[in-house]
Amino acid sequence: MRRDMTQRTSGIKKFLLLSLSALLFLAKFIGDVVVSKLDIEMGMLTVLQVVLTAGAFVCLYLYIEKVWRRDRNVVRKMGFALVLTLVVGLAGLILYTISSTGFDIKNEYALPQGFESIVFANLYAVVFGTTALFVLLTVRDIIMSKRRKETKRNFRIFLLVFLGAIVVTLPYRPFESGPVISVSFTLLIFAILMNSFRLSWIVYLTKREKLIAMSFSFILFVLYIPIYVTSVGESSLIAQSLSYYSRQLATFISGTTLFAATYFGMTFVTTLFHLPTAEAFDRKNIEVLSLHNLGKLITRVFDFQELTDLVTRMTLEVCEAESAWLEVRDEEGPSRGMGRAAENPESSPVRTVSLQNIDIQDIGAIVGFDNGAIRRMVSETRRPVVIDQVAGDDRTKHVKIIAGKINSMAIVPLVSHDDVIGILYATKTMEFGFDREDADVLSAFADQVSIALENSRLIGKSLERERLMRELLLAQEMQRKLLPQELPSLPQVEIEALSTPAFEVGGDYYDFTMLDDEHLGVIVGDVSGKGVSAALFMAEMKGIFLSLSRRHTSPRDFLSEAHSSLLGTMDRRTFISLIYAIVDLRTGVMRVARAGHCPMIFRSGGMTRFVKPTGLGVGMGSKEFFSRTITEDEIRMSSGDVAVFYTDGVTEARQENGEEFGYRKLEEIVARSGAGSALDIRDRIVLAVDTHLGHKPPDDDLTIVVLKWLSEHTHP
Amino acid sequence: MSTFKIEQRENNAINVLDLKGYLDAHTAPELEKMFQSLIDNNRFRIIVNCRDLTYISSAGLGVFMAYIEDVRKNRGDIKLSNMSAKVFNVFDLLGFPLLYEITTDEAEAVRKFQNPK
Repeated sequence: MRRDMTQRTSGIKKFLLLSLSALLFLAKFIGDVVVSKLDIEMGMLTVLQVVLTAGAFVCLYLYIEKVWRRDRNVVRKMGFALVLTLVVGLAGLILYTISSTGFDIKNEYALPQGFESIVFANLYAVVFGTTALFVLLTVRDIIMSKRRKETKRNFRIFLLVFLGAIVVTLPYRPFESGPVISVSFTLLIFAILMNSFRLSWIVYLTKREKLIAMSFSFILFVLYIPIYVTSVGESSLIAQSLSYYSRQLATFISGTTLFAATYFGMTFVTTLFHLPTAEAFDRKNIEVLSLHNLGKLITRVFDFQELTDLVTRMTLEVCEAESAWLEVRDEEGPSRGMGRAAENPESSPVRTVSLQNIDIQDIGAIVGFDNGAIRRMVSETRRPVVIDQVAGDDRTKHVKIIAGKINSMAIVPLVSHDDVIGILYATKTMEFGFDREDADVLSAFADQVSIALENSRLIGKSLERERLMRELLLAQEMQRKLLPQELPSLPQVEIEALSTPAFEVGGDYYDFTMLDDEHLGVIVGDVSGKGVSAALFMAEMKGIFLSLSRRHTSPRDFLSEAHSSLLGTMDRRTFISLIYAIVDLRTGVMRVARAGHCPMIFRSGGMTRFVKPTGLGVGMGSKEFFSRTITEDEIRMSSGDVAVFYTDGVTEARQENGEEFGYRKLEEIVARSGAGSALDIRDRIVLAVDTHLGHKPPDDDLTIVVLKWLSEHTHP
Repeated sequence: MSTFKIEQRENNAINVLDLKGYLDAHTAPELEKMFQSLIDNNRFRIIVNCRDLTYISSAGLGVFMAYIEDVRKNRGDIKLSNMSAKVFNVFDLLGFPLLYEITTDEAEAVRKFQNPK
């Protein structure tokens, strides 16, 4: 709403200004006609005429400022000025040819010879005056396009002097002269010259633009000289018409045309002298732009290979090289630096990650010479090296195979945090192809490349971490699904179990199976290590359990076979601790074997003890040794007896102060559980561990399996 | 959190590693590097003194399993000594005493090297 309002008010203002100036022009015209018809004393009316003219032009100026578009393109501005000048000049010429009456110069007054003269004078005044205004504003904008501290000040001085030169003509008659006029004119020339050296914008044009500017300014210069002459001569009809209309306006117009002629003349000469260096300047600009572009691209390209290819392509562009390649140091070296004094460079593997217009074999031949002497040289000095004549230089004269294609080289180290993380190479067919500027540009370029490469690596690592996180979560899910989805429901025995996985993927495992109608198998285990590999071994264990358990009525036989099977898959540092019990459901006899796992807790009558048959962890030792050392215990269960299996997540659950839950505590809970059900006992243990941990989540998987024998009838 | 340090010394031409602190998944690689460098330098007679070892996890136990074969292939051994009751229990549950010689003190381990039976 507000914007509309201001737009409308400014629209109204513009309209008002334009109308006002039009009105004032009209008033002036009427005034001129009236004055010519009557023979009135000039004095007073002159003042009125001056005021009207000034007012009209001030309103016009204000209006123009409001609609003036600040186009920053100087060449386009000059084009505009040129077109305007040509059009108006042509119009003026036409007007001139069709007018027949002029002015009488008597007593230095200009007296119109007819009504026609007045009309034409007004026309000339308005058209040329307006044009002069446009041209002045154009020159002002061109001058201000590349300003320094003094620029505005100098222009203001010019305006002041110009105003002064206009104002001092007030007391004079149209063609009268005097010393003041001469002085003010001289000052004006100085002011114009002072502002005509503001030409630094020329430097920044492209070569093509410079050529256009040169042409435009030449034409403008050539046009404005005669225009200026026409505007001042006493004999010129146009000059007479303008002076008649308003000497101040005539001064304004002639002053402006003089300014234009001078400025454009200077522009022409300057652009002419800038042409020979225009190409070199353009080249430099391209280099700067390339650097800027790379800077922008850096923030967008994260894929390492994409980035390195971009780098080598841009290297070609930036220094107009024929071929380029990039070597980076692999991070997995023992030290993070290349070519540090004490370290062996060979220990830091370097690989070529991107190349343009060259073969990998050629690269090897060039760089590999003397065990990477060139690399060493650059890594030690951390400065770019330029080889002007490859054939003649000691460091590269071995490079005979590519003679003809490569005659100069630039080698630039990429340094990040004081380490040389890579090397950039560029070659040219020409000798002495890389000058000092090229080396500087390549260095600046290399700095940006270093940053980009580091960024890419860091992001790669961070993405890697994310990926690992996701995999971890996936493995956790997998693992959960491998555990029993429901517990066996049997009349002879109460079974309760619980397994809570830790955040990181662990390796706890438990399972049940009916070996036949009368035998229940219960297995609890813990895969060493964490992560996806642990989960995979657990899955394998489940497979082995499901497929092989039925083959053995003896738990130690099963564990031996499991050990044999798994030896092939597991590496030496991995093992699985297991405890496996087979319960005869008719007799209540439990046979239990333990492969490196936590001992079973057995409560019978008033006694609670640990059942700990000998046995290595599965995966430890040879097949024979494992089978030889594993034993089996046999336990007769009576009604009410309780067997508890668990993993070390329970006993090793650690408090903040480092204290572990411990075996004693666990044994006590089972001992004191009285007539409690399996569920009861399980929950008591869980609660106790939770309390011990201060209700904080545990670090490791926790598994508890409780068996309570119910059957009263036991068959011997 | 997990502080772990290994100090190396020699005792009668046998390399002794003093383990101090927590040996878990984070710190196990350090022990691995140590074993590897000993093997690389043909030092196959090793005693691991566990006096200041406060905790060992399955990852730590795995490290011993990983290197024992190489060491024994070269007629050497890794003997363990000076374990606290708690740490011994962890080794014991897994059956380490069946595979390794675990002595109460270092001197005994040295003797076992000198008089293998």
